[in-house]
Order: sequence, then structure tokens, then C-alpha cells
Amino acid sequence: MEILVCIKQVPDDSVNVKMNPATGAPDLSNITPIVNAFDTYALEMATRLKEAVGGTITVVCVGPDKAKDAIKTCLAVGASNGFIVKDEVTDTISTADALAKAVAKIEEAQGVKFDLIFCGKETTDCASGQVGTMLAANLDVPVIPNLVDIEAIDGGISAKQETEEGYNVVEAATPCVVTVTKPAYDPRYPTIKSKMAARKIPIGELEVGGVAAAAVSVVANAEPPKKEAGIKIQEETIGDSMAKAIAMMKEAKVF
Amino acid sequence: MGCKNVMVYVETAEGKPVNVGLEMLTAAKEVAEKVTAVVIGAADAAATTIAYGADEAITVDAAEYNTEAYAGIMAALVKKYAPEMVFVGGTPNGKDLGARLAATLKAGCVTDVIAIKEADGKVVLTAPLYGGCIYSDSTVDGDVAIAIIRGGAFKKADEPDTAKTGAITAETVEAADLRAKIVNSVQEISESVNLEEAEIIVAGGRGVGSPENYELVKELAGLLGGVVGATRPVIEEGWISRAHQVGQSGKIVAPKLYIAFGISGAAQHVSGITGSDFIVAVNKDEDAPIFEVANIGIVGNCIDALQIMIEEVKKMKSE
Amino acid sequence: MNFHFNEEEQEILNMLEDFAAKEVGPRAQEVDEEERFPIEAREQLAEMGMMGIYFPEEYNGSGLSYMTYIGVCEKLAEYCATTSIMVMASESLCAWPIFAYGTEEQKQKYLAPLCSGEKLGAFALTEPSAGTDAAMQKTVAVDKGDHWLLNGSKIFITNAHYADIFVIFALTDKEAGTKGISAFIIEKGTPGFDVTGHEKKMGIRGSSTSELIFNDCKLPKENLLGELGKGFKIAMTTLDGGRVGVAAQAVGIAQGAINDALAYVKERVQFGKPIWKFQNTQFQLADMQAKVDAARLLLYRAAQAKQDGEPYSHLAAMAKLVAAETASDVTRRCVQLAGGYGYSRDYPFERHMRDAKITEIYEGTSEVQRMVISGWMGAK
Repeated sequence: MEILVCIKQVPDDSVNVKMNPATGAPDLSNITPIVNAFDTYALEMATRLKEAVGGTITVVCVGPDKAKDAIKTCLAVGASNGFIVKDEVTDTISTADALAKAVAKIEEAQGVKFDLIFCGKETTDCASGQVGTMLAANLDVPVIPNLVDIEAIDGGISAKQETEEGYNVVEAATPCVVTVTKPAYDPRYPTIKSKMAARKIPIGELEVGGVAAAAVSVVANAEPPKKEAGIKIQEETIGDSMAKAIAMMKEAKVF
Repeated sequence: MGCKNVMVYVETAEGKPVNVGLEMLTAAKEVAEKVTAVVIGAADAAATTIAYGADEAITVDAAEYNTEAYAGIMAALVKKYAPEMVFVGGTPNGKDLGARLAATLKAGCVTDVIAIKEADGKVVLTAPLYGGCIYSDSTVDGDVAIAIIRGGAFKKADEPDTAKTGAITAETVEAADLRAKIVNSVQEISESVNLEEAEIIVAGGRGVGSPENYELVKELAGLLGGVVGATRPVIEEGWISRAHQVGQSGKIVAPKLYIAFGISGAAQHVSGITGSDFIVAVNKDEDAPIFEVANIGIVGNCIDALQIMIEEVKKMKSE
Repeated sequence: MNFHFNEEEQEILNMLEDFAAKEVGPRAQEVDEEERFPIEAREQLAEMGMMGIYFPEEYNGSGLSYMTYIGVCEKLAEYCATTSIMVMASESLCAWPIFAYGTEEQKQKYLAPLCSGEKLGAFALTEPSAGTDAAMQKTVAVDKGDHWLLNGSKIFITNAHYADIFVIFALTDKEAGTKGISAFIIEKGTPGFDVTGHEKKMGIRGSSTSELIFNDCKLPKENLLGELGKGFKIAMTTLDGGRVGVAAQAVGIAQGAINDALAYVKERVQFGKPIWKFQNTQFQLADMQAKVDAARLLLYRAAQAKQDGEPYSHLAAMAKLVAAETASDVTRRCVQLAGGYGYSRDYPFERHMRDAKITEIYEGTSEVQRMVISGWMGAK
């Protein structure tokens, strides 16, 4: 199975982003760039599928030169080839268009046709959850969003799609796009051997050109309005603290 | 008015509009001259959308929800009615539908919209970025803009105006061939967890310590007639089903009272609870960020606090 | 003089740090509180190739530099001292002497599974009456022609209950002093060999520290490690390497304490501002960081010398002496900075302080290091 995994480099989502008042933009300068968490789940799911049925995984990332680090990370945990797409994109439409054009270029460069394209269901920075679905539309192939598991079946795939109450079993013919949410397992860690091997893999650079214009423009950013902090209670004992808190809750008529 | 026509896709569950579907009608009224509700596969719900603010409604007959099919229907309606904006509720299905529709129409789309305003004749959509740390305002170019509206961000009308009338049009859209087929639907979570409408939520985080201790959270919620809320780590530990998750990747809630035990207050969680009227938080770490949003913060052991509160409620009930 | 990691080494260390921050650090408190062996990390580190970092690939090692290994020990200790000693006891103290003194058969049989992480190693020298005075061995191995008969006991053995392969020392000639001591390899489950008890310790509480008992234990002849009567030398050279590891552990513990303290003082508000804004706090932490970096330079110097095959006993002793005393001092000061919270077991500060103390004691106390250093200076 020929698999493509689309990834994005995002600021570490365990760090709270603050505004930079000087630039009026979010201050990301001291936040470590990492691979979007949902993309790491997608790569892990793809890697498990590859281990089950054979094949090759290629990762592609639209982003600046430093996003090569994200690709390198992926090359140590299941991917065999990596491409960076250097065209400028600012919203989901332009991103999905750049990816669709990159798919064609990578297929041509490698002389393969991708059977499956994995995306994370959303990114932890923008959380729009649109790119996978848009990419499928651009490629005119089916899409199955929000997967927690996947297996190959004759002529296509059978996927376990998370729903509010449980899951659907969804089948589609390949080629198709899937988006991945948090599965029951965690992404693997690289090993010294896989890391050393990944260092030797050259990362392909692409400029696809003619990327669709963005439709969404950011006009302003701000930190959320601060809620006024209430009262903090720390008496000698937790019993005293709770007595005081419960009295206040009763006074506020919420208890 | 920032735009003339807004089309609102009102998702239904068991034939009735879901909350966010009705909440969007309120939001749409603020920017549109005319609000058109669309209900698919649940024609009876059309009247409810009129009562909650839609000027008119369109019904389309279709089988149960399927993103590909429903997006096809919506795309056909958008082409026919040419609204300037389409609102879709930010449920899991709604997020897929909105993205799919945007892809089909090559339209700009903003997800998780929490506020809508007008500036310089343009509609400005506010959505959280970076796990709720930043609120970002965007405008959308093109013939049609799609907004996926976050549940709980707007209030639905207090009372339906049942006397209000509006045209209800039945449309027929030919079903397209589906390329991804749902072959089986499995219900794993049987309990009904209505966090969005809960008046009291008792929530526990990883600080509760163990699944055994988590029973105390459930006990207190039960005694108070409330619903149990949980953080992502707790769901991942498997202490409670994901139906209870509150926050950016779970439910956005707005109860009258939110009591948080052992929750440190990661941005992802806090952004889901700031709509609460009154927040009480217990945490052993006096510098926990949850205290920045709590009306009352108690520094101390959350298990002791849970037990004391359970006893207090039992005492109040017996009096 | 250029103690820096090259790009490749740095990438491996970054990878290890990412792992440690996500998997090792978050369990450190639990491992300490419950005195629980860090079994998850033991398996994950094996999977990652971290149990044989600086051994050749032909023995399943990862074929990286000794400096990388030292960097890994340091980083692991920054997140969990218990986890770092688990690795070090296996790599420095068990795998290394087998690599350095073992026959090809022994390397294939014992070193390869240690490096792959399939098996865990331990080192057993200390006895009830042979601690600092390690030459006072009472465990004896008698040549019975087709086998060795082992009797005696060892105490304070790291990894004891979880180790599969042990490098041990016993008297093979009671009359020959230190030249009558020989090294052996013994496997878990050998009849007559038992691991008993669990030492309740002040720090590194998740580490399995127990007693080994040999009761008419028959050991195959081929399990002699190195030459007969060279055991004491094997033990001492092994400990030279071990000391570099302990110095790395000490530096790691101290850095971990500083990192936690720095995060704490930035959050903790007193007198209306974060205590990080007070000059005393800034100077305290600046002082500590400077001391830790000084210790780190000694550590890297010793590690580089070992890597380059130069004499390094005295450098290892200096690194361990300074790093261990620095760790004890820095961790104690971090407790003080955090005040009541520093003393609370809900916070990591007191754990760092308890963990740091062992680095002044095991693999040669600070007093032993002074003996080694003054000996190198010419003292008799």
C-alpha cells in the first residue's frame, strides 16, 4: 500500500500562547515547534497499517524550511520519504490546494500512485478540521474523517470512525483520504537506530506554484478577555476552608 | 446588516433540532436580513426553527446523516438560494459537513466561531486559536462564507414563539452515489450525558488520583442532580467515558455552577468552561491556573474536599 | 578542549529528552512514593536502543559514543534519578566489564542481550564487611574441577530483583589479598543463588536494592570473567567508569532541581510579585547554575578522557566528588527556595534532595574519591 501522510508543524500545544503587543500577533518565538498531535496519530495508524499489509509511507508538509525538522521526526517513526512544500499558504483552501498539487508532483517524482492519504483530523493551533476533507474534494476521492482504526480490505479500506455514541464501520475504495483522531494507542517513540537511519534520508523540496488564493483573512488577534479572579481560600485545615467555601456558595445562592 | 441572507443548517437528533442548531438562529438574526433554516430528513423540525427565529425554512427528505450526502444537498441548496453565509453547528457531524461543504463550494470556512460582528460592512468571525489562548477575528472573501458555530457560544431564544409564521418549502435533491459507506454503527456509550444543558456540573481532573476516587465525583454530581464533567487526561486514563469531556476537544459548557476538583486548568479545558455562571475549584497547587477563572478557589486536597462536600449535601438534604 | 555534542549526538539527546519529559518525568513522583521499579521505562528504553548505547552494533549495541551515553544518563537523571541508575547499573557496571574483559562467547551470550535490553544487568561487589574497604571480600568461589562452588552474600545491589545477569566478585585465593579476588558472571535462577529483601532507602526509592545470597551455588567454569585473580582490578576499572555515570546522574539531579525551582519561583507570588523578581532568588539560582555547569565541565572532561582511551581514574573521581557535593548542595537550596512547598512531598524538591545524597555515597563515597585524587597527587 502506498501511503501519504500530510503533517503540519505547530507550536507545542502544551504551552499557553500569549499575544506579542508589539506585533499584534501571537508570540510563538519561544515555543518549540512540534508535529501536530493528530498528525502523529495519523502517522502511527499509517505505520501500523504498513506493518500489517506492506508498503511505503511518504510524509508531506507545507511550511517553511524549519518544518523539515517535523519531517525528520516522522522519518524516524515509520515514514520512508519526506517532502516539504514551500509555497505560501494562509488558510485551509490554499493549504488543501497546495497539498493536492503536491500529491501529483510527488506521485510523478516517485512513480507511484497513493492508495491512501492520511491527515490528522485537525491541527492543535488552528483546529479548523477542514484540510483533509478539502484535499479529498480537490483530488475527487472519498474521505472518511475521525478514524480511530483502519484495516485493508479487498479493493479498499475498512475504517472505524469515532462518533458521539461509539463508532461507525465505514468502507471506501482506494484511493481515498482519511483523517485521524486519537486512537486507543499512542504514537511510538523513535529508536536510536531509526533516528540514525532517518538522518540519512534526503528531504525533497517542492514548489507547486499557482496555489489557490486564500479566502479567509485574519484581521485581528487578541487574548481572551480575562475573567475577574474570585477569592482564594486556604485555611489551616481543608475542613475550615470548605466550611468557608460552602458558606460563600450558599450566600451566592448556587448551593 | 452585514449580509442579506444566511442559511442555517439545523442538525436534528431523533427528529428534534439540537441545541446549537437553535442557538445559531439567534446568531444569524444579528447579522442577516433573512434567516433560512434547513432541516434534512426531519421535516417536522422545520416549524421549531421558525419558532426559534428563522424567517423561513427548507426541508429536504433524506436518509440518516451521511456527510457526503448531506453536503451534496447543502451545496445544491446554496447554489439555488445563493445565501451570503451558511452556518453549520459545531457538532462532530457538523464540523465534517461544514468542511465538506466548503470543499465542494470552494468557499472560505471558519471553524469554532464564538462571536460574530460587523466591521466596515464585512462580517467578522471570531474563533479561538492555540487551544483557546488567542481569539482570532477573520473575514471571508468570496460569494459565500461558511461559519461552523461552536455550541454554547450563543443563547437560543428563551421561549419559542409558536405564533410566529414563516414559509416552509420542501426541496428535493437527488441523492448522489456515496463513495464511503457506513456498513455498521456501533453504540458504545449508552448513557445520555447532557453537559451542554446541565445546570450543575461536577468535574474531576487527574488530581482526583484514581478511578476509585473518581466515584466520589460521580456521587457528588448525583447528589446535586448534576452531570459529571471530565478533562482529557481523565478520559485517556479511562476513568470515565469520553461523553463527559469538557473543553476545547470536548463539550463547551455553561452551567449555573461548575465545581472542579483536581483540575489544574489547562487552556484547553478552561476555554470550555468560561461561560459558567459560577465556578468553584479545589486544587492542592495554589498557583493552579484554574484559580484565575474560579469565583471561589480552595487550596487543598481535593479528595478531602469532595468528602466534606458530599457530607454537607447529604446533611442539607436530610434537613 | 571541546566538550560539545555533535549534531548527531545532539539529535539523539533531544529525542531522549522528549521521551523523558513525556514518559519518565511524569512517573518520577509515583516511582518514588510507591518505591516501585520503573518497569515501563525499562521496557521503553530497551525498545529505543538505550540499554547498549556505546557498545558496538555487533553486540546489539547502538554504536554511539561514550559521551552520548553520559549525556543520556544526565538527561534521564534530570527527570528521574531512579530511572537513570537502572540504566547505569546495567550499562556501566555489568555490560562494560563483560565487553572489556569477556571472551567472545561471553560477549555473545551476555553482552548482546544486555545491549538489546532483553536482559538487565547488575554488579555485585559490596558485602556487609566490604564496603569502602572492598578488598575485604568474604564471598568465596572454590574450584571444584568442572565447576566453581560459590558461597557468601552481597548487599545493596542495584537492580537486584529485576536483573538477569550479574557481574560478581569472590575470593578464589584467600592468601593472595586483592590478587585473590576474581570476577564471575552469574545468571538469575542459577540454583543456590537467591535475591532477597528490599532495602528501604532515603532516595532513588524506585530502584531495586537487595541482597544476593550464594549457598553452594554451582557456577560453570566458563563463567569466570577475565583472568583468575584479576577481579579486584576489574572491579576498580569498572567503578572508574561507573563514577563518570554517577557524576552525570548528580549533574542531572541538580539540573532537574534547578529547572523545577525556576518554574516554581516564576509562579509563586509573595509580597505582590513572583519571588523570581527578588534578587535573593535570582542570585541563589545563578549561583546554583554556575556550580552545576562547573561540575558538568568536570564530568565531560572525564567522559571525554574515557572515550579517548586516556587515563581518567582521577578525572572520574574529581567529577564525581564535585558533582555529587554540588547536587546535594543545590537540591538542599532548592528546597529552601520553595519553603513549605519545598518540604512537601507533593512537590519534587525534597525528592531531588533525597536522590542527590546517594551520589555522595555509592560507587565510592566522596571520601574514597578524595583518596583516589590524593593518590594521583602522590599521597601514599
